[in-house]
Amino acid sequence: MNKVKQKDLILYSGLIILGLAAPFLFSAFKVQLTYLCVLIVLAMTWNLQGGEMGYNSFGNILFYGLGMYLTASVQVGMFFPLAEWTESGGEKTFVHTTAQYFQGIGVGLLVAAIVPTIVAGAIGYAILGLRGHYFAICTLGLGIAAGEIAGGIEIIGAGQGFTTPPFPAEIVDPEARGQFFYFLSFLVLVLAFIFVKYIYGSRFRLILNAIRDNEDKAEAMGIQTMKYKIVGWMCSAFFCGLAGGIMGGLIGYIDSTDVAFDGREMGVFMVLMAILGGKGTLWGPIIGATLFHFFKEGLWTFILGWQYVALGVLIVVIVVYFPEGLMGWLREKYPERFGEVIDDKDRKAQVELK
Amino acid sequence: MNKLVKLIITSISAITLALVSFTSSFAKVDGEYIVLGSAISLTGKYSSNGVHTQNGYNMAVDRINKMGGVKVGGKSYKFEIIYYDDESNPKRAAQLAERLIKQDGVHYMLGPYSSGLTKAIAPVTEKYKIPMVEANGASRSLFTKGYKYLFAVLSPANQYLEVAIDLAVEKNGGKPVRIAQAFEQDAFSQDVRLGILDAAKRTGSEIIIDDKLPKELNDMAATLAKVKATKPDVLVVSGHTKGALTAIRQISEMKVDVPMLAMTHCDAAKLSKQHGKNSEYALCASQWHKNLSYKDKFFGTGKKYDKDFKKEFGYAPPYQSAESSAALLVFKDAFERANSFDRDKVRDALKTTEMQTFYGNIKFGPGGQNTAKPMILFQVRCKGDTCENKVVAPTKWASDKFYHPIPKWSERG
Repeated sequence: MNKVKQKDLILYSGLIILGLAAPFLFSAFKVQLTYLCVLIVLAMTWNLQGGEMGYNSFGNILFYGLGMYLTASVQVGMFFPLAEWTESGGEKTFVHTTAQYFQGIGVGLLVAAIVPTIVAGAIGYAILGLRGHYFAICTLGLGIAAGEIAGGIEIIGAGQGFTTPPFPAEIVDPEARGQFFYFLSFLVLVLAFIFVKYIYGSRFRLILNAIRDNEDKAEAMGIQTMKYKIVGWMCSAFFCGLAGGIMGGLIGYIDSTDVAFDGREMGVFMVLMAILGGKGTLWGPIIGATLFHFFKEGLWTFILGWQYVALGVLIVVIVVYFPEGLMGWLREKYPERFGEVIDDKDRKAQVELK
Repeated sequence: MNKLVKLIITSISAITLALVSFTSSFAKVDGEYIVLGSAISLTGKYSSNGVHTQNGYNMAVDRINKMGGVKVGGKSYKFEIIYYDDESNPKRAAQLAERLIKQDGVHYMLGPYSSGLTKAIAPVTEKYKIPMVEANGASRSLFTKGYKYLFAVLSPANQYLEVAIDLAVEKNGGKPVRIAQAFEQDAFSQDVRLGILDAAKRTGSEIIIDDKLPKELNDMAATLAKVKATKPDVLVVSGHTKGALTAIRQISEMKVDVPMLAMTHCDAAKLSKQHGKNSEYALCASQWHKNLSYKDKFFGTGKKYDKDFKKEFGYAPPYQSAESSAALLVFKDAFERANSFDRDKVRDALKTTEMQTFYGNIKFGPGGQNTAKPMILFQVRCKGDTCENKVVAPTKWASDKFYHPIPKWSERG
């Protein structure tokens, strides 16, 4: 037991060192690395519903978009009138000082974590009674509706979009902005990982699994399934909100349907990444998100104009050949490496039966 | 578990190696090439206009390279463009701009298609101090952010249809008109809307319908039903190419009678070809028309550009292509005047640009917008079954008289 822990320690410290060194090693790739961190967070937290709880949610993008708008709004609203900032065609220019910028984004991210969590609780209370396809379709609608609603609210820029505060001009180093957002996203990634890892070792996960495997039976066993479902969703919302807030600052321009409530891309990607890596596993979404991001960044530019066809092919390949994801596939091939004990007698017995 | 850890470590190191070997970046000037970068919408909702933009860029690159290239420091250089597909998505566009600058080492950028995407890219180019000449981001708010490295060869979006309202008032005997308007929820169209609001205020006109329509405008029947019921004097519609096509399709299907129909993107949508007589009398805002009397030594006159473009790409150039070609002429001119590849020198040269191209005069205002070129209006007119865009305003270039009011559908053949 002790030995395994030591190995884990080496692995984790190695990954953390790699993560901390990455923006300096691959300075040109900072933005892509930031995206990677955010994608992993999204996939990992989606996995809590889709993988562990068996509730396929397309609605997590709602919290992501909400976090994005909230962070930007707070960051601006703390120091300037928000309506004048976003006023379409507004002639005024406001400039954040360095201190204002960081205070704003700090408080903004805090709000972006808390509010979506509360919203998830409220919405979850209303719709987590739905199961299977009904839940999936309902959450799909949530994301789309949010995008359309945000596109009509003047104070956050409506259809004109919302330009988030530019990085303070007093910091002249052009690398600083990339580093700031990278480390911010890496921090959220580490927190999310620790949190999910903790959940994986807890009774909470077993309850989520019980809900996935047979919700009625779980209820009959005396588990208040609704409560756990809502709490599960709130956990995801917390991290989705943070991820959204970071992305808003990084992209610098929020559009209601294309950037914030981007269900067509981000909303689908998080599901895809979790499935690619293997849902219901700790490392699956991380591996899935990493592979997906590399595939997307590396391959897409070489097949200009055809990338969505390639993505379609990828989805088909995943679903047909790796229905359980890469981790699931590995687990089937090498069960002993996943700590599964295989009884030779049993296996032989099965072979004989055939 | 042991092997799994090994597997993970091996794959991480493999990826690391791959990344490191991939980091080798191009130079801003690669041998005899000046490398420009551009994220263009080749897929997604702006794909048709993205291709118009790309064709415009490519046409100008070929032409300039063939005619001696760009002379800097006594040496002749050729233009080369690195393209990425931004999928009509601002998030992707910002990421690709970063990628062009950081990984591909691009030091000079050409703009994407649409105001929204330009808004997403401008903060990135600004941060790295990369001069960007853009030809397709017209939103006024682009020019009020104090950007120093952004230069637009086109007139701001709010100017697109203001003239149309003035025209309507004039036709109404100087009395205010009743306006119905429907705009797509995107940065450009919303800016066109602001222009109309200004014009309405100025002329005392009343806006009786003010609809916002979703992106990828495929249906506006609800707005048109209201128009049928309230009978406004002017109907204004703007929603890129799809918006123009949808408007004409549904107006003709529902036989909506309105004395004046003002739109944007008629030529990008090839309205007169796709909808023929149904699109007749539509009044369209345009940055450029082939009949204008501008010229330069690379493309000659607008008419010649039109002919050459048709020969190369098989369709008449919409203004999106023309302005994109003009962007490269501006870059060439700036490089030669700066006589250097230093970004700040090129920027300073861009700032003092004052030139005539086949597309129009170009001179940049303090915000980076082109202040030397007026917008024009044309009207779709048909002779038999062939329809053409005829310039009707401003009067200097008008080849035809503005036809007003539009005859009712019951009277149209």
